[in-house]
Amino acid sequence: MIPSRLSALAALVALAVVPWVLARHQLSLLTDLLIAGLFAMSLDLIMGYTGMVSFGHAAYFGLGAYASALVLLHFAQPVPVALLAGALLAGAVAVPVGWFSTRATGIYFAMLTLAFAQFLYTVAYKWRDLTGGSDGIAGVPKTPLFWGGPSLASSRAFYFLVAACVVLSLFVCRAVVRSPFGRALQAIRENERRFTSLGRDPRPFKLVVFVIAAVFAGLAGALFAPFRGFASPEVMFWVFSGQGLMMVIMGGIGTLVGPVLGAMLFILIQEVLSSYTEHWMIFTGVVFVLIVIFLPGGLVGTARRLGARG
Amino acid sequence: MRRRDFLKVAGGAAAGVSAPIYLRTAWAQGPIKIGMPAALSGSNAQYGIQARRAAELFARDIKAKGILGRPVEFIYEDTGGDPATAVRKAQKLVEKDGVKFLTGVVLSSEALAVSAKCPEWKVVFMSTINGAGALTAKAFHRYFFRVNTSGPMGARAVSLYLAESPMKRFFALGSDYAWGRDSVGSFTTQITAAKKEVVGTDFPPVGTKDFASYIAKIRQSRADGVYLALPGQDATIYLKQAHQFGLNREVKPIMEILELENMKAVGDAMVGAIGSSRYPFTVDTPKNRDFVKRFHDLHGIYPDMFDGETYEGLEWLAQVIGKAGTDDVEKVIDAWEDSSYEGLEGPFFMRKCDHQAVQPGFAVECVKDPKYPHPIPRILATYPGEKVTPKCRTEEFS
Amino acid sequence: MANLLEQLLNALALAGLLFLVSAGLSLVFGILRVVNFAHGVFYMLGAYLGFTTVALSGWFWPALVVVPPVVGVLGALLESSTLRFIYRRPPIYQLLLTFGLALILEESIRVLYGPTAKGVEPPPLLQGAIDLGGVLYPRYRLFLVVLGCTVGVAVWLFLSRTRAGLVIRAVAQNSEMADCLGADVARVRTLVFGAACALAGLGGVAAAPMTTAYLGMGINVIVDAFVVVVIGGLGSIGGSMAGSLIVGAAQTWGAFYLPETAMVIMYAVMGAILVFRPWGLFGEEE
Repeated sequence: MIPSRLSALAALVALAVVPWVLARHQLSLLTDLLIAGLFAMSLDLIMGYTGMVSFGHAAYFGLGAYASALVLLHFAQPVPVALLAGALLAGAVAVPVGWFSTRATGIYFAMLTLAFAQFLYTVAYKWRDLTGGSDGIAGVPKTPLFWGGPSLASSRAFYFLVAACVVLSLFVCRAVVRSPFGRALQAIRENERRFTSLGRDPRPFKLVVFVIAAVFAGLAGALFAPFRGFASPEVMFWVFSGQGLMMVIMGGIGTLVGPVLGAMLFILIQEVLSSYTEHWMIFTGVVFVLIVIFLPGGLVGTARRLGARG
Repeated sequence: MRRRDFLKVAGGAAAGVSAPIYLRTAWAQGPIKIGMPAALSGSNAQYGIQARRAAELFARDIKAKGILGRPVEFIYEDTGGDPATAVRKAQKLVEKDGVKFLTGVVLSSEALAVSAKCPEWKVVFMSTINGAGALTAKAFHRYFFRVNTSGPMGARAVSLYLAESPMKRFFALGSDYAWGRDSVGSFTTQITAAKKEVVGTDFPPVGTKDFASYIAKIRQSRADGVYLALPGQDATIYLKQAHQFGLNREVKPIMEILELENMKAVGDAMVGAIGSSRYPFTVDTPKNRDFVKRFHDLHGIYPDMFDGETYEGLEWLAQVIGKAGTDDVEKVIDAWEDSSYEGLEGPFFMRKCDHQAVQPGFAVECVKDPKYPHPIPRILATYPGEKVTPKCRTEEFS
Repeated sequence: MANLLEQLLNALALAGLLFLVSAGLSLVFGILRVVNFAHGVFYMLGAYLGFTTVALSGWFWPALVVVPPVVGVLGALLESSTLRFIYRRPPIYQLLLTFGLALILEESIRVLYGPTAKGVEPPPLLQGAIDLGGVLYPRYRLFLVVLGCTVGVAVWLFLSRTRAGLVIRAVAQNSEMADCLGADVARVRTLVFGAACALAGLGGVAAAPMTTAYLGMGINVIVDAFVVVVIGGLGSIGGSMAGSLIVGAAQTWGAFYLPETAMVIMYAVMGAILVFRPWGLFGEEE
């Protein structure tokens, strides 16, 4: 346990000092990576710990982004208010969606979440008066932390906000999966029939974790809107949901911290390759195939296995 | 062409050098950098590729003298047509590469997201592709310039032509996103003002692969013409299927943009379609004839709309930087406002009030010409800039 | 009346096309338990190879015969070089592996053919429209209806009436048991995957004259095909047929009668069906 605590501490220190080490564009990129990491981590809660593969997780990221963008643009509230609005809206919408979707399991669950996500995407796409339709909402400001408080306009300040949110979320999610509730989720993942035969109903557990995951995805989206300055329907599209699954697998399913790293790797690969060639998708595809075949535990799973062996 | 790109890139990656294409001569100062966060992959890639083709030709043409005696460097980044990626790539171009001029952005959603960031970054965004009226109206700011014909301007040109034509009843079919809906709105207003009738409208989703239901409706409406604001691939599919239903003979297709990309894919079934063109390569001016030849020599094909528009933008930008005597962003903006430029298809003027380039508008028809391997746009009417450019910072016409 | 006939034919033609794509997807799921994300790209590959064949031979019909086996062989090769190694893992891994394959294939096609869509002319026999009691209807769409029905009946007969079909069904029901009884499970899987890809390729060739061969057509169709298969029930050929008809009708009639819902109607129908039948119309509980 000690090495993992040490590495956690090292990671925290690294997060704290990088703004003085990295160049400006690298810090912007890192902020982007952390936001994507938070999204992937929230997906891991349902996918890795409960075995529910959602093909519509981007919808909650998108809801968070839109709520945050609208609050910042129309009500000029401090950023934390927008974050709260984003997380709450995502969580609230996840209640009815989760209630219906958890009736099914496996691929049918995935398709139901997809259907609802596409519905939400269509709403965002068609409600032009509110959401700007396909053009989205641009010019979202970075308001201060609170009125009269520190400004978040600089890339360093916003980075710290994002880093703090990600680290806090990681701790909360860890606490969730280690609680009795989290152990029940893992029991459902391992053998849902057995769980049921013990006289317990898995659906309330699934619903609650689905909502929790949506809240964190909403938080990630709510950070995204002021950081990038816009929200548009693409962030709710099923392609982004699919990318989330890939991030989780690449980083290591069921490890929480793995998906954060997986998200970073996923975006970095594309970022680097796409600067060299517009045919970067070929190479990305090859990397996916190799990772799926040869690194079944993802980055973290493989590292742990090697660590245990050595 | 593709293969050579690929090898160049693979070689570059292997040697560990960065992708930007340097044009090395003995220059006194560092290069003037132009960043192109363009959609080079994904379903809108053909437009990003057009912008890049134009930049490649421009880079070759200006290689000898440079701008202000400095070399010109283009840095291409692929956005995949996604606004989030576009902002990330643009930010990288600005913060890492020190680019002061951004251009080549393809989609309106990408353009609105990137443009909104430009005042913060203090860089110029030069649109050569984006049609959304809002960019020079509601979303206008000092750092944005639009060299190309906007969507409302295209709709205007076509409406002016139709006002004179014998056709009376129209059906309007626009893709279900901002450009499609805005174009149909603009068209409806102007056709109604010309005392003609829009007898039906519909908004198929982007990526529709079966237009049969819409074709049935258009036929039932007994319209004389159908106004189409569909993006590249959707337009191709519509025209193919309407041809198979025998509809194109009954209801004339009127395209918001009539592009070569469609003509190549649809072929003879498209002959007879009319529409507006932001840049028809068949414009008969000495400057354009020369451009088309140089373009064909380099790429082996004829320039499409955004090839021409992007080339014009780059040439104008170079002229303005030369006039300002510096690449300082604020001074370049001042020099550009209210300046004139002789474009490929006629005179251009950059309005100070909304940075929309006033330029000629065209109504064209798709025709066959044995000299070319595919149908080409034949110019039906040319309208002077004042007639097709909307009132300042609006999407309306006087 | 004429209008209703046209609506019916529109739905059937689209359903025919959807069935060609979704039958293979459903087969692969039923027998290999793999959600094949690359299936749409095999459809797209079929369309592009169809274009090449027509361009080289000047005929449409050879493409319909030659292209599907080529696509099928490529699919079988990919299955035996990648998917074969990960059947024991949870289904999400196979889905992501095929996602990677889809990226590679899609982009390779773009490198080879460039960004401009490729038009394919229907054979002379099927060009133009015929008059069906006041409705001018394209011959080629009628052909799609016939083709969809023919392939549907052929696949059904093969699975239910032949020995090979029996072995395949045995593997689908219990691959370990089938293995014990002497069936070469690995070979069955490769052949089924290849055959499914060939069906997708056939769908692509058939689609090309209607939609042209274009980049993104694979992604465009795969989502529809997933919906078809999920509505019908994964692994059921009859279900795919029913799903194709439902989605074909929802899309064409939705666009005609409720145009503002065109973007979402397919998902609404799927959601409604799954809420009442969480395993699809003909599917069995997992």
